[in-house]
Amino acid sequence: MSNAAPTGPARSLRTPEQKLAIFNRVLSAALILFFASAPLILPLVTNNFWIGITAEIMMWSLFAASVNLLFGYTGLLSFGQALYFGAGMYGVAIGVAQIGLGFWPAFGFGIFCSIFMALVTGSLAVRLTWHYFAIITVVFSLIFYFLALTMSSITGGDDGLAFQLPPMFQFGDTEISLTNSTLQYYFIFIVVGLCFFLKWRLLASPFGRALVAIRENDVRAELVGINVYMMRLASFVISGFFAGVAGALFAFFGRYASTSYMFYHVSGEAVVWAIVGGAGTLFGPVLGTGVLIIIREELSLYWDHYLLLVGVIIILTVIFAPKGLTGLINSTVLKIVAPKHNPDTEAQSNLADDKARQPAE
Amino acid sequence: MDLVFALAINGLIWGLIIALIALGLSIIFGLLDIINLAHGDFFMVGTVLAWFIVQSTDNFWLAFILVPIIGLLLGAVIQKLVIVPIKGAAALSIVATFGLSIILQETVRATFGPAPKRLLPPVEGTIPLFGIDYELYRLVAAVISIICLAAFFLFLHKAKLGTWMRAVRHDPETALALGIPVQRIYTITFAIGFGMAALGGVVAAPITTVDFRAGVDILPFCFIAVIIGGLGNLQGTAAAAVLLAFMEGVITAFADPVVARIASLLFMSAVLLVRPQGIFAGATS
Repeated sequence: MSNAAPTGPARSLRTPEQKLAIFNRVLSAALILFFASAPLILPLVTNNFWIGITAEIMMWSLFAASVNLLFGYTGLLSFGQALYFGAGMYGVAIGVAQIGLGFWPAFGFGIFCSIFMALVTGSLAVRLTWHYFAIITVVFSLIFYFLALTMSSITGGDDGLAFQLPPMFQFGDTEISLTNSTLQYYFIFIVVGLCFFLKWRLLASPFGRALVAIRENDVRAELVGINVYMMRLASFVISGFFAGVAGALFAFFGRYASTSYMFYHVSGEAVVWAIVGGAGTLFGPVLGTGVLIIIREELSLYWDHYLLLVGVIIILTVIFAPKGLTGLINSTVLKIVAPKHNPDTEAQSNLADDKARQPAE
Repeated sequence: MDLVFALAINGLIWGLIIALIALGLSIIFGLLDIINLAHGDFFMVGTVLAWFIVQSTDNFWLAFILVPIIGLLLGAVIQKLVIVPIKGAAALSIVATFGLSIILQETVRATFGPAPKRLLPPVEGTIPLFGIDYELYRLVAAVISIICLAAFFLFLHKAKLGTWMRAVRHDPETALALGIPVQRIYTITFAIGFGMAALGGVVAAPITTVDFRAGVDILPFCFIAVIIGGLGNLQGTAAAAVLLAFMEGVITAFADPVVARIASLLFMSAVLLVRPQGIFAGATS
């Protein structure tokens, strides 16, 4: 995982860093176990409504992970990921409703649309960095948002485009489709799980190390022979792919697509989830997404203006925990296992220095 | 033809108001290196404050004086509370201002309400203008905006504070060495940025609707003006705002307003990719 044990001379059998790595592995395993068993354990403690919410958390986590791959690992802050989410979503909805594709072809079409879109826009966007990159990603997503609004005969505009769920498999008269909510949950779990596995493998590979090198210092990375442009583009396209898969799943989940999911506020939410959870860690975005969606679902029942709290959480995170919840948990654990030995917590408080770009390991 | 003319004039006047707001965005970006996603909401807060003041005192001109002052104060407070603690972390500032945008919108929704409202113009009636009856207040708004723009540039180039702001933007370390209170200049700049947006809000309030979502629509347009004019190029920003709004006004006469917006965005992308320093780069300091 990204939480791999640090290299370096082992002073004792278990250095504080190793203990932290073990803690992180246990936490990650617990998280996976929870998502794997949610449809079984959630009905025991609460109602079925929360199974749907858990499924939503998984899909949005994947979306936040797409921001994280670009920002947390490549050092590019995209504020336009909703475009690829929307491409995946509309690929599925248009595929089913307008072209008449079956389940799997529509799924593939949605993913293809998002990759294609990421390739075209990304080849231009990754020429820019920092502010300019953030701005151009918003601009691209806004262009396609407005295009989708004008082409309401195809996209349904603001009202959205609803469709009938096609069956996944058909054996004679028996049809297997996502109308079975348990099947739907596990379908989402497996697809999201595969994407996270892919992300984990990629980040552990030389490709992932190259991305981190670019994040830390793109000039130096170029000098040691990394093709910075191609690496950034690859990261952008993979990130668009993740967003597209999330969008395609969301289309199947909601049985519709809507332009409102392509607006830049949706991109902003993904950025917030990733950063509140902890950019640059594999499961940080899952944590951020989970916490903020639970706040939304639970608090909005009692308080119409719960968004005020979300805004405050965002600002407090940025000021006091720029490495997000994962950073906060890690520094707390380090304090417990090694009260005196805490280089990480010093780095934590050094705001001006770190720009929250380092992973929170 | 009358319609084209009316829409073109509408666009021009709207552009002058946008120029005020976009200048606020531009000085915040140029000096503090912050992409302010809450800037549209600063404008929206201006329209809402104007609505509240007119509602309780029935005096638009009082609002015209008070709203920018409240904007300045709010800007200073926000800069101290939110921007100072994250200074230097450019990426985080985008996220922080996104959070700020949520807070401002939700506060207005809770107090002002979710339904859009209208503010009656303080100057009523129409005047004949090249064969059409044109709303008088819009012309007044144009004149006010031009005066404010002139005052802003005069302040920036003639007043000591304005010179300091330009000096800090140019080289903060040398400015500090020369005794300019750099930290205070940062606060003042952010405050003026908010004040400009609020001023734009109060001028625009009788023309548009007062709505807690108004900032969401106006923010992209301000960014387009800032980028096309050139980041940190203030004259360029003002010129771009007026030109773009005029162009969008003319396009709107022939096509859907959304098409006009797409055209602006495409133009902006081209500028970002080909001439990121803006189309007017080299023309001004």
